Amino acid sequence: MTGLFSQLVMLGSSGMLLTALIVLWRRGLPAYIAAYRWQSWLLAAVVATIAHFGDDTSLYWVAGALLVLKGIAIPALLGAMRRRVGVTPQVTPFVNTETSLLVASLLVVFAYLLARPWMAVSHLPTREGLPLAMALLFVSLFIIVSRKKAVTQVIGFLMLENAIALLAAVGTYGVPLLVELGVFLDALMGFLVMQIFVYHIHETFDTIDVDELTRLRH
Amino acid sequence: MSAVTSALELMAGGYAAGALLPLAMPSPRAARLATAAGAVAGSAGGLLAGALVLATGTPVAAAFPGLVSAAGGIAIGLDRLGALFLALTAAVSLLAAIYGASYTAEYDGRRSLGAFGFTFNLFLLGMALVPCAANVFTFLLAWELMALSSYFLVMTDSARVETREAGLWYIAMTHFGFVLLLPMFLLMAPSADLTTFADLRAGAAALSPGVRNVVFLLALLAFGSKAGIVPLHVWLPRAHPAAPSHVSALMSGVMIKLGIYGLIRVAFDFMPGGPVWWGGVLLAAGCMSALLGVLYALMEHDLKRLLAYHSVENIGIILIGLGAGAVLQRFGLGALAAIGFAGALFHTVNHASFKALLFFGAGGVIQQTHTANMEELGGLIKRMPHTALYFLVGSAAIAALPPLNGFASEWLVFQSLLAGTHIPRPEIAIGFPLAVGMLALTGGLAAACFVKAFGITFLAMPRSEHAARAGEPPWSMRLPMLVLAAACLVLGVASPVVVRGLLVIGESVPGLSAHGAVQAPRFWLTVPGSPTQVSPLMIAALLGAIVVVAAVVLRMRGLALRRADTWGCGRIGQTPRMEYTASAFAEPLRRVFSELYRPAEDLSISAHPESRYFVRTITYTSHVVPWFERAFYDPLIRGTRAVATRVRRLQAGSIHLYLLYVATALVLALVSAWWLQ
Repeated sequence: MTGLFSQLVMLGSSGMLLTALIVLWRRGLPAYIAAYRWQSWLLAAVVATIAHFGDDTSLYWVAGALLVLKGIAIPALLGAMRRRVGVTPQVTPFVNTETSLLVASLLVVFAYLLARPWMAVSHLPTREGLPLAMALLFVSLFIIVSRKKAVTQVIGFLMLENAIALLAAVGTYGVPLLVELGVFLDALMGFLVMQIFVYHIHETFDTIDVDELTRLRH
Repeated sequence: MSAVTSALELMAGGYAAGALLPLAMPSPRAARLATAAGAVAGSAGGLLAGALVLATGTPVAAAFPGLVSAAGGIAIGLDRLGALFLALTAAVSLLAAIYGASYTAEYDGRRSLGAFGFTFNLFLLGMALVPCAANVFTFLLAWELMALSSYFLVMTDSARVETREAGLWYIAMTHFGFVLLLPMFLLMAPSADLTTFADLRAGAAALSPGVRNVVFLLALLAFGSKAGIVPLHVWLPRAHPAAPSHVSALMSGVMIKLGIYGLIRVAFDFMPGGPVWWGGVLLAAGCMSALLGVLYALMEHDLKRLLAYHSVENIGIILIGLGAGAVLQRFGLGALAAIGFAGALFHTVNHASFKALLFFGAGGVIQQTHTANMEELGGLIKRMPHTALYFLVGSAAIAALPPLNGFASEWLVFQSLLAGTHIPRPEIAIGFPLAVGMLALTGGLAAACFVKAFGITFLAMPRSEHAARAGEPPWSMRLPMLVLAAACLVLGVASPVVVRGLLVIGESVPGLSAHGAVQAPRFWLTVPGSPTQVSPLMIAALLGAIVVVAAVVLRMRGLALRRADTWGCGRIGQTPRMEYTASAFAEPLRRVFSELYRPAEDLSISAHPESRYFVRTITYTSHVVPWFERAFYDPLIRGTRAVATRVRRLQAGSIHLYLLYVATALVLALVSAWWLQ
């Protein structure tokens, strides 16, 4: 029973990390949005698994909210944004694909190193997911830093958000519903604000390449 | 006891009302009146509380631990020393509020008088709370309230470049002081949750001598930057002229005195019986401030800048009194030390009265002529006789002429310095007479400076259209001047009584106490163990008698008043251009002290193209270079700029770089956590 539980959590977490790596490897916004959608569904699935095996019914609500908000609503909004801005399919990164993947693998190793003391003190069956969640966090940060287009950075931010949610879920069996709702709201607000910014950047500079923002200096 | 508490409640309520009501007022006039009304009510409460504590001598304490409990809560305590400064603050605030009601009329419609009234009353509240504070949090809160609100008051005329520059200097210096205040209090506090002044007193007693020295130096620098001790005085001559005149009067008359209050509180109340060199440092800083203050004042032709430099000088005189007293006390000459301390406290009171008076007078001149440049003034004694008379009284008082109050306090300070002869130590045998010489020179130069200030501003013929069209300011501006001029006379004539009261206050502070060895003067100002004595009352009577006799003799001789032109060396037309100017008056001294001033002169003569003997115009400009400002602050500013430019490279404007900083910081934090465990 416990073996199945931890196997499922690990599977879900690994899948989430994989979707993040897809962003480093594929080009083009539709692929990114799809990756994010998959990631959110996997997150919802992990939370639902924890709810089932951990006998915590309130986590079902969290899983449902995750599915609706991050799995359906935000990807839809991202799609709308893509259509409005009309991003060129070629999304140029700062770092090329090979190096990106190499860096990502180093980050995953680093995450495993960092999570070791934590895993030593944790007795939860979900603890195998901890290093994966940390790795997702680092890879998301790397996405934000290494991508040029504002939309890609928004996706990186959303993945970071997912990583934190995953970390909370596998580290402590999820935080109370109220806190989780607060975090949702926060993420949604952040997303909406960033959306407005993307539009404004697009209107002002005729591009959403944030490299151009350097011109705002002085 | 309860009367004092209600008076303090009236003070807080009055200032709060004065801060909030103007914001709701429909017209500028109503806002001005509401500002003044609240400030008057608050100041009356403060004055009452201070006077009650001074009269009864019973300290009052009240604590509100529930308010901001995390920081230690609000604690109010008023002992004799605090009451003196509270009464002083409240008295000047009261007069400034009345004065400001008409003075700020020039801002009607130009800027928000509601906001001005708000900051003005907050400033008054902050200043009144500083001497009432009984724990670190309350003190720092009041201190910052005072500093920040006065910054906004200085910035009233923010359209002018000089004002913005002055504001920058002021805020930088006041924060410099605040940064030093925090470690000073931290060093004295025995633990983080024991921060009442009683705890600090106990904590300071347990400190090692080395730490006590550090605390003393921190206090000297922190409070010195507020008081305007050379070389921390740089903000005074900039900020005081920039502020509206009644605010300058408050800043110069009261706020910088709260720096002295803080110094006394920490160096003499919390840490009584410091080593001799503390006194020596105070004495040296005082001499430097006094002499340099008056020397730079002499070169100023802007009335308010001149007054600001004189504040530096007077703070110096106060410090000389404190320093001399501290040295004397250390050598067991308690009764003589008390004279020095009383002189310092007395000069604090006196400077508040005559400097506020002079700033009020300067404000009247500025309101009527729209300039503070003395070279454009002149002849105002005929246009504004009342203001001229009050300004003359203030000038005589600051120049220490008997029987006015400045004379009495400077006399006491002199006596404490002369008492140094009782100490058989070579460094004191050299240091004290040197200080006497510097103080004497300061006194003489101050007199010369006010001959210039009064003479050029009020006498002779008007040098500009503005000056010629000036009139007397309204009664609400003249009344505060009248009160202060009367105070200068009364404090001088009744000085033995005042000194008796101040000696009692000194006894209540551990570091100022002579342990009962004081001889309280009755009718004459006396010095213990010396036949020297002086009575300002007798001098006043004598002067009055001389005037009366002279008048009677002139009347008996039948000499009638005759009006005629001044003798003009045979010239027919007299124009203002033939008059003595402020630059010319100061010229001899500028030559004598040219090493200090490093004057830069620029003389350009344009001659007629046909012959160089026909001169068309001569333009002469000169200005002095405050070299120690250059030597001290220029490298500091340059260094800050250089560091700032380097740090700015971090701000590349690239979002990716910023995000990378965040990511790197996170990774580093995690690595360090992993590494440390």
